[in-house]
This record gives sequence, C-alpha cells and structure tokens, in this order.
Amino acid sequence: MLLLAIDTSTRRVGVAFGSQVGVLASLELGGAAVDGPPRHAEQLAPAIEHLLQIADLSLRQLTAIAVAIGPGMFTGLRVGVTTAKVMAQALRIPVIPIPSLDLVAYPLRHTTGRVLLPALDARRNELYYARYRAVPGGLQRASEYELATPSDLLGEIEAAGESVVVAGDGALRFREVFEAHELCEVAGPSFAAPSLPALVELGASRFEREDFAAPGDVVPMYLRRSDAEIAHDRRPA
Amino acid sequence: MVSRPPGGALEDVLEGVVAFENLTVLGIETSCDETAAAVVRGGRDMVSSVVATQVERHAPYGGVVPEIASRAHVELVTEVIARSLVEAGVELSAIDAIAACHGPGLAGALLVGVSAAKALALVTGRPYVGVNHHEGHMYAALLDDPTLEPPFVTLVASGGHTLLVAMRGHGRYETLGQTVDDAAGEAFDKVARFLGLGYPGGPAIDALAARGDAEAVAFPRPMLDDGYDFSFSGLKTAVVTYCRRHPDLAVADVAASFQAAVVDVLVTKLIRAARAAELDTIVIGGGVAANSGLRARVAADGAAAGLRVVVPSMGLCTDNAAMIAACACYRLAADGPTPLDSGVRPGLRI
Ligand SMILES: [Zn+2]
Repeated sequence: MLLLAIDTSTRRVGVAFGSQVGVLASLELGGAAVDGPPRHAEQLAPAIEHLLQIADLSLRQLTAIAVAIGPGMFTGLRVGVTTAKVMAQALRIPVIPIPSLDLVAYPLRHTTGRVLLPALDARRNELYYARYRAVPGGLQRASEYELATPSDLLGEIEAAGESVVVAGDGALRFREVFEAHELCEVAGPSFAAPSLPALVELGASRFEREDFAAPGDVVPMYLRRSDAEIAHDRRPA
Repeated sequence: MVSRPPGGALEDVLEGVVAFENLTVLGIETSCDETAAAVVRGGRDMVSSVVATQVERHAPYGGVVPEIASRAHVELVTEVIARSLVEAGVELSAIDAIAACHGPGLAGALLVGVSAAKALALVTGRPYVGVNHHEGHMYAALLDDPTLEPPFVTLVASGGHTLLVAMRGHGRYETLGQTVDDAAGEAFDKVARFLGLGYPGGPAIDALAARGDAEAVAFPRPMLDDGYDFSFSGLKTAVVTYCRRHPDLAVADVAASFQAAVVDVLVTKLIRAARAAELDTIVIGGGVAANSGLRARVAADGAAAGLRVVVPSMGLCTDNAAMIAACACYRLAADGPTPLDSGVRPGLRI
C-alpha cells in the first residue's frame, strides 16, 4: 500500500507518502511562521513533485489519496481537495476524505482524563472545533463539527465544567483568551496544523476497511455558508 | 491550411517530437460561473467541449456569487474533465499538455481549474500551460473558422470585460480600447435586473428586444465618437431615468432600444478600429457576442464596410474550455510550459 496524504486546511501546505506502517516521506511548507498571503495554489503541486523525486516514487504506485477536507481555510481546502480528487480520478484510485479536526486531535489521543478540543482558525473572530475523548485504541468524537466565537466556546467549556486541552492554529490565535481560563490548557505550535502522520495512519486504516470515496464525490467541509446565501435567507419573506 | 506557430519548439517541452498539427491539449476553464473542459488538437480542431453551467445556482442572487461559484467548481470539475475525454474518445495518456485559465477572473474559482490542471500535469508528466482568459476568447474564432489567421481586430465583450484589441500575430496584441466603467455584459445584467427580467440579463434582454421597437427610445450612445474606450454606466442610468419618467412604457421597446444603443457603440468602434489599424478582418468574442442583435449588426455593417467578419458560434462566444485549449497550443509552442509553482492571476491583463 502507498498513500499520498494532502493537507491544506490551514496556512500550511503538508504532503506525505506512507502506508499502514507509517510515513515514508513528508514535506511541510508555510504556516504561521510565514508572512503574507498563503500560497497553497503555488506550492502544493511542486511539493508533491519534489517529494516524489527525493523519495524516488511514482504517482503510478499510489493505492489511494488521503486528503484533509476541513473545516479550515476555504482557498486552501479547494486547492487540496481539487488536487486530490483530480489526481485520484486520473489514477483510478479512491480518495479517503478525513476531517481536519480529527487530525489535530489525533496526536493528543494519549491525553486521558481531559476533553480534547482541536480549534482551527475560521477568521472573522470565529473557530472551527469539535470535542474528543481518548478511548482505548484511539479517539471518540463527542460533538458535531462546530463553528463559534472564542467567547461562546469558552462559555460552553465552562458549562461542561471539564478540563480541556485546546489545540490547533485557532487555539494559538486566541491563546491568551484560553490560557486565562482555569479549565483550559493550550497545546503548543507543534499541534497547530492537522498532523500528517495522523492523516497517513487514519487514511491507511480507513483504506483497509474500504472506507473511502469515489473522487467525484469528495468536497470540502465548509461549515459556513456564503455571505450571499446567509443574507438571502435573512430577507423578509 | 493548417497554421504553424512562429518558432515552435515542441520537441523541447514534450517527450519526443510532436507536430503542431497533432498537439493534443486538454483545457480547463473555471474563471467565473462555468465549469468547462475540452480537448483541442493542433490549436484548430475542437475534439470535445464540455460546459457545466452554474446559472441556476446563481440566479436566486441576481448575479454570480464568487463563493458559490468556487464551491461548484470543486464539485463539478472531475466529472467535466472525465466527460471531455470520453467525448473526445481519447485516453488521458494521449494528451500532450494540460491547460487552465489562470486569469483574469475570480481568485477562488480560478484556483480550482489551475489546481486540477497541475494535478493532471503531475499524473501524466506532461506540461502545464496557464492561459489568459481574454486571449482565450480571441482564439475561439480560430476554432470556428479554420482559415482565420491574425492579423485582425477583435472585440471581446462579456459580463466582466469590454476590450478592443488588434491581434497582430499569435501572442502579439495591441489593446486599442476598453471600458472605463461597466462592462457591456454588466450593463445588460443591470438593466435586466431593473426591468425585472431576472438573471442572466443578456439572453433575457435579447429575447425581449426581438419583440420591441429599437427606435422607440433614443438612448445615448456614450463616447461614440470619442476614441476606442467604452462607457456603459451612463447608459444604464439613462434607461432607469427614462423608465421612471414613463411608467407606462412597453418593456420590449426599452429592451430593444437599450440593446440597439449598446450594439451601435460596440460595432461602430470595432469597425473604426479596424480601419485605423489598417486591418481587413474583424472578429467578436465573449458572452455579449452571443447577443443576436450584435451578431446581425456586426455581420451587416462589417460586410458593408468591405471587411471580413468572423462571428463564432454561440457556444464558442460564451465561456468554454476549447478556447483555453486552443490558445494553449499556440502559447506552448511559442513560450513553453508554465512552471508548476505559478499561481492564479485574478487581475491579469492582455
Ligand atoms: Zn469570458
């Protein structure tokens, strides 16, 4: 088995090759450390090409493509999802779509006794998030994928009254807000973006369970409608 | 006659030598609200052309919503590409290069087509070619008329742009004029919305105008005698003012008179530009070139002026990917591939 894993749901471009036994090669570009607009459209294809070269692989060897489908940065998701589905269709292999929040939470799965709360930056002072609990053998998601302001999320955390670990570029963006609260711990920058090893590992196990999609059916998870649709629905009838 | 582009060095960019006549390009177009893919051979032979329109998704909002367009492109792009290959009866392995429109257009929409084309370039090991949307519109006529060769003067008029260009040769353009405010197609959309005709406005006004009197209202012909630039926002205001003052008007007469004013300006300047540039062929393209009033008038006036007139079929005037693939054949032959690290260029000009 050989998987290509693509994540473009934050400012970072992440590409990896791997299988059920782990990552064979990976490359990360951009992220919070880089100023200026994100460059997913410019960087993703060269990143894949470069990684193929140095790992001495060919796309023809691929079994499937695992892609982080969001929620996250819309432009990034469109580049990643389009690249994954078009490549997979051309290679006649399936796509394994994986929610980006699952991939932020996964590296924290050995943190027991606390709620894991990956939070990705949704801009406009909002966060994409979901709640997870560590269970034997992995993680269990304990909420829907949600969108809220940091203060609404804090209100929710308070109401639940449980200790949480908040992770992801959204958690870091509002670090002071979360750190000021006794129930919250904020995970560091190494947990800012969806984990590429997690994308390979989860992708491989889903592939083995034949839990995958036809390339044409894969779309990003946006969680937010367009402004025009929202305004349209708010019109008086 | 099949043309050969100047300085073609196809053996440098492709594995092995490919004669220009056989150069087979898959083109992708996602700059606005059409998701399209097409296969073109030798820059002239349209082997397939598939267009998935999103009109119904945007109609409730009275215009193109960029976010809705971008999402629809991601949804539709794989199916459109697959159909273009099936209809062409070719395998992806028979494609020599993959092209996408990289600008101008909506940034979020453009990056879907560009990402798709680069993905196919990686899978096939074939070159990627980024194509200017306006340039694509100019090449549409070459698909329709196999004997057409530059130089000619071309009018590209759509919802986004109104451009008058002297195409001196392949890749050699001289912009003679453009709109200083609204594009011609934008004026159609705005007037249609005001008249309650819905979206898209061009076809609605065209259909209604056929039943109206084009001489009923003498709307202004903005900047008619003034250079080669265009201005349509004043005309739109004149229509609105006239309708407010004459509430009992016949809407068909207003539509016909408005259309006649736009067509008059476009055709007059196109013909004058051809004379000034000393070129004997005029060509139209872009969504507004699908307007029946413009098509009839440019054919009649062009012929009366002793010019050769090329009016591409309707499907080649509105946004399509065949024009992108056709243009890419010439661009690849003359300039080589576009690097994979190039992005989208929403504000690209000719
Ligand atoms: Zn166009």
